[in-house]
Amino acid sequence: MRTLKQFTDEINKCVLCGTCRSVCPTFGVVNREPASARGKVALCGAFLNKEIGLSDGFIKQMNECVQCMACRTACPNDVNVPDIILAARAKIAKEKGLPFAKSFILKNILDSERLMPTAMKFASKLQGLLFKGVPEESGLHRRFSLPLIDERRLVPPLADRFFLEEQRARGKGEIASALPRNDITPNPELRTLNSKPRVGFFAGCLINYMLPNIGEASLKVLEKAGASVIIPYDQHCCGMPALGMGDVETAKSLVIKNLEAFEQYDMDYITTACATCGDGLKRRFKELLSDEGEDVRKRVERFAGKVRDITELLVNELRIQNSEFNRKSKIVNSKSEIVTYHDPCHLRRGQGIADVPREIIEISGAKLKEMSHPCRCCGLGGTFNITNYDFSMAINRDKAEDIKNTGADIVATACPGCIIQMKDGLHQLGADTKVVHVVELLASHLTSPLRGED
Amino acid sequence: MFSKSIIKELTHIVGKDNIRIDKEDLICYSYDATNQKFLPDAVVFPQNASEISLILRMANNEGFSVVPRGAGSGFSGGSLPVEGGVVVSLERMNKILRIDTDNLIAEVEPGVVTGEFQWAVEDLGLFYPPDPSSLKFCTIGGNVAECAGGPRAVKYGVTKDYVLGLEIVLPTGEIINTGAQTLKGVVGYDLTRLMVGSEGTLGIVTKIILKLLPLPEATKTMLAVFSDMRDAAAAVSRIISSKIIPSTLEFMDKNSISCVDDYVSMGLPADVEALLLIEVDGVKELVENQAETIKKICLDNRAKEVRIAGDKKEVKKLWQIRRAISPALAKLKPNKINEDIVVPRSKIPDAIIGVREIAKKYNLTNANFGHAGDGNIHVNIMIDKSDKAESERAEKAVKEIFELILGLGGTISGEHGIGISKMPYIGMELSQSAIDAMKKIKQVLDPKGVLNPGKIFPRS
Repeated sequence: MRTLKQFTDEINKCVLCGTCRSVCPTFGVVNREPASARGKVALCGAFLNKEIGLSDGFIKQMNECVQCMACRTACPNDVNVPDIILAARAKIAKEKGLPFAKSFILKNILDSERLMPTAMKFASKLQGLLFKGVPEESGLHRRFSLPLIDERRLVPPLADRFFLEEQRARGKGEIASALPRNDITPNPELRTLNSKPRVGFFAGCLINYMLPNIGEASLKVLEKAGASVIIPYDQHCCGMPALGMGDVETAKSLVIKNLEAFEQYDMDYITTACATCGDGLKRRFKELLSDEGEDVRKRVERFAGKVRDITELLVNELRIQNSEFNRKSKIVNSKSEIVTYHDPCHLRRGQGIADVPREIIEISGAKLKEMSHPCRCCGLGGTFNITNYDFSMAINRDKAEDIKNTGADIVATACPGCIIQMKDGLHQLGADTKVVHVVELLASHLTSPLRGED
Repeated sequence: MFSKSIIKELTHIVGKDNIRIDKEDLICYSYDATNQKFLPDAVVFPQNASEISLILRMANNEGFSVVPRGAGSGFSGGSLPVEGGVVVSLERMNKILRIDTDNLIAEVEPGVVTGEFQWAVEDLGLFYPPDPSSLKFCTIGGNVAECAGGPRAVKYGVTKDYVLGLEIVLPTGEIINTGAQTLKGVVGYDLTRLMVGSEGTLGIVTKIILKLLPLPEATKTMLAVFSDMRDAAAAVSRIISSKIIPSTLEFMDKNSISCVDDYVSMGLPADVEALLLIEVDGVKELVENQAETIKKICLDNRAKEVRIAGDKKEVKKLWQIRRAISPALAKLKPNKINEDIVVPRSKIPDAIIGVREIAKKYNLTNANFGHAGDGNIHVNIMIDKSDKAESERAEKAVKEIFELILGLGGTISGEHGIGISKMPYIGMELSQSAIDAMKKIKQVLDPKGVLNPGKIFPRS
């Protein structure tokens, strides 16, 4: 990982033209220069020149970035502002430590033993006491004051049973255990039996704890598409939230744990249905371990080379066909659902994937209707949403209105984080648009009972 | 550093949420797109003319300077607080006050982003043509201060052609209205025209009345490729003399094109000296005819290929080549000196050949592109700032380029303004008497010199 000082040339590449003001979501809300990407780069430069120290003002500006990467895409000089800010956060965390809210989240949830921590299970049982359900939405409002949780927030309920736990209980991943990686020449018989592409599934925290239905849908669609799915139970958080907070060491240790978990098996691909995790697995893992020995770098290179977002895996590698998933073709006189699509920042700008999720919507038989600004950030920004809830929702306001204005029945996306954020935003706007992951569109078309009309 | 009493009084005027004196905030208001930095003593975010009036009255009493600022995207340093003082950020005054579809006028606050205003009027079938390339983030207030132009100037003119009236706070604090909200109006001196392009030195604009046009029904975009720059220039002259005024007539030279990867991927001819990006707009049938005529003119003038965009996607692709140039120039050298010179249209080839000779003489990399339709060419000298010798050579080259341009009957700045960037060269174009006349105007309106000092005129 490069330190802030090592970003000096990158900072000097900024010619202060101001283009980023047109795309920066935090600037869009605050409308004052320090909130813009240009302002933040100038502050990092001033810090390196010792004009300012790690002051409260500096820390505040570094924290108020959603890491959407829109500035970098728009920048005429391709200045990597998001990474400059991450390096500044790492510096801050190193010198000042993490504030309470962040270290609480890290210690109790993200850096715990696998994705099945006791604290979370306990929370899952407790949530009925703490929150009340919102009938029209699959969400909860808090019953009384709780740390870190704003009273207006629509909180997705923790799953009764976490995704990974459920899969283990059901014995999913059996195939995987039959094919340990250290068995270099696997039983040829087994190999022929399983000539299907072998896909490792990386769940990620949000799917595991809150939206296991996306995980279920992914498995269903992957299997229908002809993959045999392996779910290593030893997988951990991808480390991106830790990296976002500036805790590079925790992020690194999570990367190593995940490498170990997935290297146990022989896999053709590793896939995830979370855009942020995917961006991390493909890109950040390598960056985080760039200072390690050659052996480790080779391992992470091999790992990253196998990673595909689930949308690109389905369309580009497994080549799913319209006929397998189109529900409309099976129903006479059916009307297509109108679906609008939100581009997750870490999918479109992080991984350069924009067309395949839209193809999936069409494969599902739904009709795609674009919103005005599909690539505008939803405002979640990882833990930014918890530490700066009002700010985060102010960014979301435009997104929610944009979705509502399309008149679509459903907004589909490819990131559980965006889903949680958009549900909250649409709920607060009083819109009843359904929010789903694109794989859920495919999965629902596989199983839900056929009706005469949609 | 300001005294506590000044800060207290400023806070009283704008409210405590709308004044900043922390170093972190001051740094963010110390720069603009010239990439130069001057730290102010305070930044304020007023919300109306009355607050600005109080600030200016106070400045006259206390003797500090006041610098208005929009998006800080200018190329000449108009918003830089070169002598410290208070930066008056107009970021909060960003409302479109009205769009009058009966009279085709609009009234806006200075902090409105130009592009956002354009989209708002286009939704109503109306058109605000001035299109500086920074339109997605620059503000109309800044456009008025610098009299911004853009590619459409060839047909539609520049910012000053659309400003009907202004609300201005004078440097001494009086709030006045200039012009009218009608197309005609000759009551008294034309202070509106005086203010537009005055680079924030004669007053702070707080409301702007703009003229609007009906949105053209159709546009047609095309790209013509030439292996000789003189052929391209001849085509430009022929297009205009055949009584077609394109809404865009953009020129790109060989060095500019060589930086753009997309160009090659579009399968256009490799051996190129000049490209013309041409757009016509108006009634559908007329536009179709004009596009065909222009194509013929280009081919008659030995264009190697003329490509007319069939759909929106192709339009975007053609524009992409033009838009990619400015950023892609960084591939040649990390820093660019961008001069927005203008020559009479027919002199474009002479200007470019001359500029290239000067660049060669000083061993500098040069790329040129810009608005061929109005003779406004962006001459770019590409340098590496860390190379001191190269920077010095560039400075000499710039002076020689200005001499060349003035000799061709041109002007040294078409749309960026003088500010501090071109201050040393203003005397090359204007006579001392002309400069003195301008300074007298400044002296009358701003006797204590509090508003945006240190700009335009070199200290004598």
